[in-house]
Amino acid sequence: MTSHIVSAFSEELETLSADILRMGGVAETMINDACRALVAGNAILAEETALRDDEVDEMEADVERRIMRLLALRQPMASDLRAVVSALKVSSELERIGDLSKNIAKRVAPLDGTDVRGVLMSMERMGRGVSHQLHLVLDSYSDADAQLALKVWSGDEEIDQHYNSLFREVLTYMMQDPRMIGAGAHLMFIAKNLERIGDHCTNIAEIVHFQVTGTYLTSSARPKAPLLEG
Amino acid sequence: MPDTSSHSATTASIATATKVDCRNINVFYGDKQAIFDISMAIPGRSVTSFIGPSGCGKSTFLRCINRMNDTIENARVEGQVIIEGENVNTDAVDPVLLRSRVGMVFQKPNPFPKSIYDNVAYGPRIHGLARTREDMDAVVQNSLTRAGLWEEVKDRLGEPGTGLSGGQQQRLCIARAIAVSPEIILMDEPCSALDPIATAKIEELIDELRERFCIVIVTHSMQQAARVSQRTAFFHLGKLVEFGDTEQVFTNPTDDRTQDYITGRFG
Repeated sequence: MTSHIVSAFSEELETLSADILRMGGVAETMINDACRALVAGNAILAEETALRDDEVDEMEADVERRIMRLLALRQPMASDLRAVVSALKVSSELERIGDLSKNIAKRVAPLDGTDVRGVLMSMERMGRGVSHQLHLVLDSYSDADAQLALKVWSGDEEIDQHYNSLFREVLTYMMQDPRMIGAGAHLMFIAKNLERIGDHCTNIAEIVHFQVTGTYLTSSARPKAPLLEG
Repeated sequence: MPDTSSHSATTASIATATKVDCRNINVFYGDKQAIFDISMAIPGRSVTSFIGPSGCGKSTFLRCINRMNDTIENARVEGQVIIEGENVNTDAVDPVLLRSRVGMVFQKPNPFPKSIYDNVAYGPRIHGLARTREDMDAVVQNSLTRAGLWEEVKDRLGEPGTGLSGGQQQRLCIARAIAVSPEIILMDEPCSALDPIATAKIEELIDELRERFCIVIVTHSMQQAARVSQRTAFFHLGKLVEFGDTEQVFTNPTDDRTQDYITGRFG
């Protein structure tokens, strides 16, 4: 697309999307590090990961401030309007992903000394899947690729299935040994956090799809795995 | 493929019956063609805005609706302008009578060098719309009220219209336009000479007037078009590029030229 007559406007939009990608990169690293810390029982890495959440929060606040300014000064229209609103919404999704990753990291310490190795392997696989979803959706944002966004959007079903099977697995552990209930509860929350991160990725996919095509994807049309009862 | 829903569904209720049906309009100034085969159905009781870069033909096209191009020497308008089933672009139609049905407000407020009262009473008087002084008083008051000016001028109706502020003068011109009970009001950049407050008042007024009139507005302010109109037409180089629901045109235009223009990429 050609540049704006006011070149500063084009620059502001480019910087904005670069910053969203940078923010997404930090969020992705947080998911990966939180899962690595979990599997390795690495308390130091967990603590460092939790601390990075502040970084994401600050980036979101900065993006929001600049978007307010941009809306007031430039009054963007059409594709520009969609780009600016998308950036605002994606940044808040990424901020939530940061929060959830931090929460995972904070559960590493309480799990120290418990023997949940089997579950951790499954958890790591789910974490990889979720982080891959985020990676793809960030690619779709950076390349304005609506098809890729659509693929991520449909791919959340797999994450949900993963969550359901982990839920069942942890539940079994807890039923077999009541001493596992404390650790099991933490593992349940971790799995739920990963599942929520997956949902935020599909939200981002919807935003990207709207930004690129101008049409809305309806959540109700998305393929979903049925929720397990207790 | 999943369902996708476009936002046009939300604005579908805006569509109303066609008031002005322009068919295959071509306009020439001497040898130079200014408008190329434009057809457009303008709905009644709503606001339609014309946008586009300077010289794109939007004002020329607007002036076809009340035959203002007749006043320009060597201008020639081909095609049909059908208002309520009648083609008004023929010699059989008296342009003066047509202009009582199709009022116009210009860029620069142009009150007559007469009193505020006489500015509004002028049209009804020459068209014989009021029989008595009381009737005329009522028409004047009614028009000024609908133009949002009555409270500000009711105690000085005898003062010259040219003594009002720019924004008040423009509202006086709108009162003058609606005094003859037109069906259609054309506005050619009605706010470009006004400050933001006066502009906001005019925009508020336009929004109220659309309940009674078919309004067509030419504007250079994209934000104004987005704020006041339900339908937007984008003109470029004498052609109609895109005509659609305002919300759609400003959030998701279908033509790349519209996109480039409204996002400030050429002009």
